[in-house]
Amino acid sequence: MLSDLTFGQYYETDSFVHRLDPRIKILILIAYVVFIFVARNFYAFLALAVFLVIAVIFSKIPFSNMIKSMKGILFIIVITVILNVFFYKGETQTVLFWIITKEALIFSAYMALRLIILVMGSVLLTFTTTPVALTDGIESLLSPLKVIKFPVHELALVMSIALRFIPILMGEADRIIMSQKARGADFDSGNVISRAKAMIPVLIPLLVSAFRRAEELGDAMDSRCYSSSAVRTKYKKLKLSARDLVATLVSIIIFVSVIFLNGLGGV
Amino acid sequence: MQIISKGLTFTYNREADFHRQALQGVDLTINEGDFFGIVGETGSGKSTFIQHLNGLIKVQGGSLWVGDFNLAPTDKQGKKQYKKMLKQLRHKVGMVFQYPEYQLFAETVFEDVAFGVKNFFPTLSDEEIEKRVAKAIDLVGLDYNKVKNKSPFELSGGQKRRAAIAGILVSEPEVLVLDEPVAGLDPVGKKRLMSLLHTLHDTGIVKTIVIVSHDMDEISENVNRVALFCGGRAVKVCTPKELFSQKDESSSRLGLPVTAYVSEKLNEVGVELSSDFKTENFIKDLVKKYKETV
Repeated sequence: MLSDLTFGQYYETDSFVHRLDPRIKILILIAYVVFIFVARNFYAFLALAVFLVIAVIFSKIPFSNMIKSMKGILFIIVITVILNVFFYKGETQTVLFWIITKEALIFSAYMALRLIILVMGSVLLTFTTTPVALTDGIESLLSPLKVIKFPVHELALVMSIALRFIPILMGEADRIIMSQKARGADFDSGNVISRAKAMIPVLIPLLVSAFRRAEELGDAMDSRCYSSSAVRTKYKKLKLSARDLVATLVSIIIFVSVIFLNGLGGV
Repeated sequence: MQIISKGLTFTYNREADFHRQALQGVDLTINEGDFFGIVGETGSGKSTFIQHLNGLIKVQGGSLWVGDFNLAPTDKQGKKQYKKMLKQLRHKVGMVFQYPEYQLFAETVFEDVAFGVKNFFPTLSDEEIEKRVAKAIDLVGLDYNKVKNKSPFELSGGQKRRAAIAGILVSEPEVLVLDEPVAGLDPVGKKRLMSLLHTLHDTGIVKTIVIVSHDMDEISENVNRVALFCGGRAVKVCTPKELFSQKDESSSRLGLPVTAYVSEKLNEVGVELSSDFKTENFIKDLVKKYKETV
């Protein structure tokens, strides 16, 4: 059922990557995503992939979990590959049928590779960082924007509440699906349209309960005099350590090497 | 329909490292005509067990028969056949979850109640559907003409729950399974709902009723047999009287219905009562005892 989803759920263990400062992890991920699109040839991709593998090893997360988390986006990858194979304008002769060129195949392969390591990188972040740490990190990274009156704290709060509610709503959806199934609802037969229609009896109660929960949470916060403008201290202060320095250095080395490897020629 | 469970086991997230065994071999028989209670602490496997009863959870180990339905999937049976069987089963075994009012979704009460009939009997005529919906809404004690065009979200809490239960009764189940049916209702609502269940049971509209409850008074007042779940097993299957008069660790954690508590205290001062713990019989017995001694 829905609870089987492993996509992006925090994986509890103690590792080098888990202990990294969330800000460093977020920044490295952003740079990593940028370099995924900078990479132009096989060697550059190899460097990025090796980096990912090293990170996964140091995070003590079983590779099987990383693979499983790809299930959700498999569909997107397949679609992207198909579209690219057919619509990429190549120059050399066609290799397959009448429109598919060699360039198109290579380009789509790189595209698939890009998507896979991009998602794996992001999943690694959410696997190794609790939602609380993640929003703390984002809040801290965005705090310079407070100068221009950007509501950083509110944004972080909204994010953490949203993340917090995912498992709750998933459990709720599970329950509603069960009770509609008990009333004879059939979710997995028929064509796409009738399947989408079959979801209405689930989505409406889910929406209703989301609003109910939001209202209750709002009341609970009000009753404890929550105010976003109040100055508050943190129980866990984010602090950079030697570990973060090492991770940053390794990442910089990898990213610089990607630039050099790009020089070897590309697609 | 008789329900026979033998050695039923179930593990959540079987393949993941955080798996949890919820049922460790449930042996339990619920006879046709029973008003059956299931009690036990949170996490003892009650909910997991009842979700098996209409195939919402696939049997992993052991065997489970509900009437003529064998719920353990066999190799011979194709996937399609299994699905077909599930549909038949779900129309015979109605399931009322905790807070059933949270499953209401349609624009009108009529549409919501009709959902089940339309799913189970897609070939019925509109008149027949209306007849069945009206009957179900009447059964739960709502005024059909008043509520049929109302949005289910306009009803009061107790009415919503009745409407939701009507949505299950409409498919005319033989067995009705309810997970904490009165949780969150006010005393009047509780009483009304329980008397509704008794009416259904006494008139034979629903042959077998299974309720899960944490309220021991509700159990002692209403059910004829009860199963005590503990650690994923049905550790005791007996009458409420037996359950509440035996003293051991697993049942003492449940608490006692008021009548059993009073009997126990009377026992300590030397008054032996022999009735079961239904208030009516308890009072009769008490009065009789009193007259004997005076």
